[in-house]
Amino acid sequence: MSEPIISARDLGVRFVKGRRRNLRVREMVFHGRKRAMKNGASDEFWPLRNLSFDVVPGEAIGVIGKNGTGKSTLLRLIAGVLIPDEGSIRVRGKVAPLLELSAGFSNDLTGRENLNLVATLHGLSKAELAAKFDEIVDFAGDQVAKSLDSPVRHYSSGMRVRLGFSIISQLHHPILLVDEVMAVGDAEFRAKCYNTMQRLLVEGRTLVLVSHNEGDLTKFCTRGLFINEGRLTRDGTVQEALDAYKGLVPVA
Amino acid sequence: MTTSVAAVWGHRSVLRVLVQRDLAIKYQQSVLGYLWSLIEPLTMGAIYWFVFGVLYKTGSRFEGASYPLFILSGIFAWQWFSSALSESTGALTAQARLITTIKVPREIFPIGRVTGRFAEYLAGLPVLIAAAIIFNGHVTWRTAVGIPLAVLLQFTLLIGVSLLLSSLNVMLPDVERFIRLAQRMLLYCAPVIYPFERVLSATGVPDWVKILYQANPLVGIMQLQHSAWFPEEWPSTGLLLSCTAGCVLVLVAGWWAFHRLEPSVLKEL
Repeated sequence: MSEPIISARDLGVRFVKGRRRNLRVREMVFHGRKRAMKNGASDEFWPLRNLSFDVVPGEAIGVIGKNGTGKSTLLRLIAGVLIPDEGSIRVRGKVAPLLELSAGFSNDLTGRENLNLVATLHGLSKAELAAKFDEIVDFAGDQVAKSLDSPVRHYSSGMRVRLGFSIISQLHHPILLVDEVMAVGDAEFRAKCYNTMQRLLVEGRTLVLVSHNEGDLTKFCTRGLFINEGRLTRDGTVQEALDAYKGLVPVA
Repeated sequence: MTTSVAAVWGHRSVLRVLVQRDLAIKYQQSVLGYLWSLIEPLTMGAIYWFVFGVLYKTGSRFEGASYPLFILSGIFAWQWFSSALSESTGALTAQARLITTIKVPREIFPIGRVTGRFAEYLAGLPVLIAAAIIFNGHVTWRTAVGIPLAVLLQFTLLIGVSLLLSSLNVMLPDVERFIRLAQRMLLYCAPVIYPFERVLSATGVPDWVKILYQANPLVGIMQLQHSAWFPEEWPSTGLLLSCTAGCVLVLVAGWWAFHRLEPSVLKEL
């Protein structure tokens, strides 16, 4: 078995309830963690705790759980845009986040400028971008291609999502994070997304998918993680994870 | 700290596109475009010249070169400092969506704002040089040393301040308001529009206030800026050293605070 590409050990993130942020800043700077412990656990909660798992390259993981059980938090930890309070997460390789597809777009810039901007933010070099530019525009569809030089402000939300998706799906980062993107867009776009995802998986990318859609999960994923109340309750096949999920939420 | 410096350096292309984006957004929509980065300091300079030069006759002290040039040599650097201060404070909060989806070193966002305002300062330099010609500025070796040194020190200082303020502002939104007040105060806490020497020779000011005043790193930076055209304003070695130490200290403190606050900042965004 090859070395894991994502490996989490006793992962935990703590949030503080309420709005006592001023105090938090003081604690962070002057007292570190000790004082926070002393204050008791009443005003803090752990959206995720004691998570340990390994993902080997090429695996497709589906993350299942009720709303608010820390699925998105987990994706943010893998993406590296959240720092754990407990344990560690090691990610070898860059991450292509299909999370908020139009994040990073500036309304006042044109589609072309935004494409350059977002692609560079995601780590595409100038030469790579020049080579992929046409492909990205092509994938985004006629509508986007026609209005490439008008400000993104005038784009419909569907067009933005398309442009965002085509940029991120052209990245050759080995890890793909997907959070319910398939829920947006029309049927044609969704079909395109499915095809792209299939293609990327065939290429050997690692996928972490968060979804409530049983069809999507069984279609793409080979392994399922069921997260309940911040803990990893089931780590097995997709079917096992789905069964555990359904056992908790009886389908009427 | 060295690893995060390396990380920022490795992402300098990201820094460049962020600065380009900020400038493009700022100037695309206005008719006068980049001229705004000149109009603002020039207008402020004209006001100070009227109040302190015409009404209070500060200008009489300057021999050879004149008070308008003195104001301009300070005001362009001040404009950079002041606008970078206010814009970097909101650097993280304003770009929250970007920060929570794309993994780049977070330091890039405040540093980008500082760099963007530096580009505007550069755009103003030709005007400053023109003013130096018109108002008979003294060109000496201090011209060639003073300005680059002042820029370097100001960069150091601003990066430190922006890292501290941008991260603190996420936890305490009051910081943004406080900065507006601090901007107005700081203008008078450094020799931007009045000569440094006036503070030192003022009789009504106790010595400890004078020492405190000189502890402000901006004092040394402004003196370097002025000395480019007014050789007699060249700061003493003591002042230069304390200014450099102050800038580096602020940078280290800002970097440290940023890293300390980073986990909470990411949760809060």
